[in-house]
Amino acid sequence: MTISTLPSAAPRRTRRPSAARLRRRSAPYLFVLPFVAIFLAFSVYPLIFTARLSFTNWRGSGAAEWVGWGNYTYLLTSEAFWNSLGNSAILWLLIVPIQVVLAVLVAVLLNSAKLRLRGLYRVAFIVPFVTPLVAVAQIWVVLFDQQYGAVNAILGVFGLPDIGWLTTSAWSKPTLALLFLWKTTGFIVIILLSGLQSIDQSMYEAAELDGATKLRQLWSITVPLLRRTIMFAVVLQTLAVFQMFAEPFVVTQGGPYNSTTTAGYYLYNHITRGDLGTGAANSFLLVILVMVLSLFFVRLLRAKD
Amino acid sequence: MTDTLTRPVAAAPAPAAERPRHRPSLRLGSHAFLMLLLIAFLAPVAWAIVSSFKQPNDIIRDPLGFDVSTFTLQNFLAMFQDVPIASGFLNTGIVLVIKGGITLFFAPLAAFAFAKYDFLGKNLIFGAVLVTLMLPTIVLIIPLLLEMKALGWVNTYQALILPGAIDAFAIFWMRQVITAVPDELLDAARVDGASEFGIYWRVILPVIRPGLAGLAVLTIMNIYNDFVWPVVVASSDRMATLQVVLSTLAQNITGNRIGADYATVTGELLAASSIALIPLLVLFIVLQRHFINGILAGSVKG
Repeated sequence: MTISTLPSAAPRRTRRPSAARLRRRSAPYLFVLPFVAIFLAFSVYPLIFTARLSFTNWRGSGAAEWVGWGNYTYLLTSEAFWNSLGNSAILWLLIVPIQVVLAVLVAVLLNSAKLRLRGLYRVAFIVPFVTPLVAVAQIWVVLFDQQYGAVNAILGVFGLPDIGWLTTSAWSKPTLALLFLWKTTGFIVIILLSGLQSIDQSMYEAAELDGATKLRQLWSITVPLLRRTIMFAVVLQTLAVFQMFAEPFVVTQGGPYNSTTTAGYYLYNHITRGDLGTGAANSFLLVILVMVLSLFFVRLLRAKD
Repeated sequence: MTDTLTRPVAAAPAPAAERPRHRPSLRLGSHAFLMLLLIAFLAPVAWAIVSSFKQPNDIIRDPLGFDVSTFTLQNFLAMFQDVPIASGFLNTGIVLVIKGGITLFFAPLAAFAFAKYDFLGKNLIFGAVLVTLMLPTIVLIIPLLLEMKALGWVNTYQALILPGAIDAFAIFWMRQVITAVPDELLDAARVDGASEFGIYWRVILPVIRPGLAGLAVLTIMNIYNDFVWPVVVASSDRMATLQVVLSTLAQNITGNRIGADYATVTGELLAASSIALIPLLVLFIVLQRHFINGILAGSVKG
């Protein structure tokens, strides 16, 4: 806590050490003050408010009635709540494993100094990432339209039948997952590229001399050394998938037959219905779930270290 | 690795042998793989931009058709007439400048305190930063909206700007960057009589410029693309940001799924989406190098 680590500043300041020290001690508080003020006003206060709200049946107006754990027991025993978690879990399975494998392959290829057209590839993978989600989601709606969409038109060229991408519950999740993969894989590639930069190149040279194939090097050197970065990406994407809201909001409105009502979208449903108490309780259940999942992945990472 | 030491003779011609090891077929394979992905990643955006110049009926009748002679600005003109896209751009611009400015100035400042000072409550406050990172945005929407109503801020710039200014990820990330700045640099500045804030302004900020550039691009992207909170708090036409305008159009499309109406709305939608994605695409392509290097500079190492 004391500032004993900076002896070099001491000699010249022997005359007024206390004033300088005071300034130095107070400085960090002033520096974090703007953040703390905004944080208290727009995160902590609303969070406390939500906590209280989750124990009432308040509908946005009138008096709130205290219902204790009522909202929580209602949710935990309701089929719709578990359905929303199930949908998010399936989306996670459709997204995260595929994305990580794809992003590792792309990042490794892009990291190679000998690769030609590297700049072009980098731009291509970043385009979806910088494209506004609302715009992309709308393009998806049009592209995957069963009757008029370009995707079914392409299938038609090969004599394949039309698919109800967004209108059947069998295809709605894969279509949504595709949107998410398309949109975010570039970002994961960048994160993995940053991890790759810290790997010592001499290990590859040694492996090369041993006659290890590229695939072997990828599996035995790159992947193990990249484990922390991969886990970081998995945690980030787990948070994102379980909070997914904008995609179903724009593309499917949670349908068909609630097949794309994600955990995040279900939470939003309470708000639109004016069922604020249940919505607040749902928020907290989601926060707890997201934290448990994050901790699980962090543990997984630590266990192997 | 130990194997290399036992086979020095075999290793001797390695430098010459290194090139042929990258067999042409392998290199061709990786290019084919990357090319395929490149097409998949660019196709939807390219399709949207091309289609936005087509006659509305053609978009539906022949979504893959491509005939430059029939291209028209009809969709763009209709879109400008039907939705307040110009004011959407203006509102997004205003929010971008102010909110972005706040984040880019105050997030590194707070990060500086976390990286280079010891103070009471530091761990507690930084823990709060990390918790904020994990909090789903949507959790705070109800109470924040009620707070805005109580303050009389619904449909105002304050409501669009203040919540979420100085975002936690920015602090977390800048702390990584600033931790790497050598302490000697700060000590030298102190010896020269610099104030603590002077150190931030004259030493830290110039040194972390690459990381700051990456943060700038990410911040611009996040603010430009943000849509959930603006939809809730600024839904009036006068205050709607670009993304809110877009999402309102999106809801029209699901309401008008029959025949000509569908074609018209689809055309407008693609025109609006194309216009919305152009500013960031241009920005990114111009700043491509800085962007990627900036993100790498602030990355989680090790």
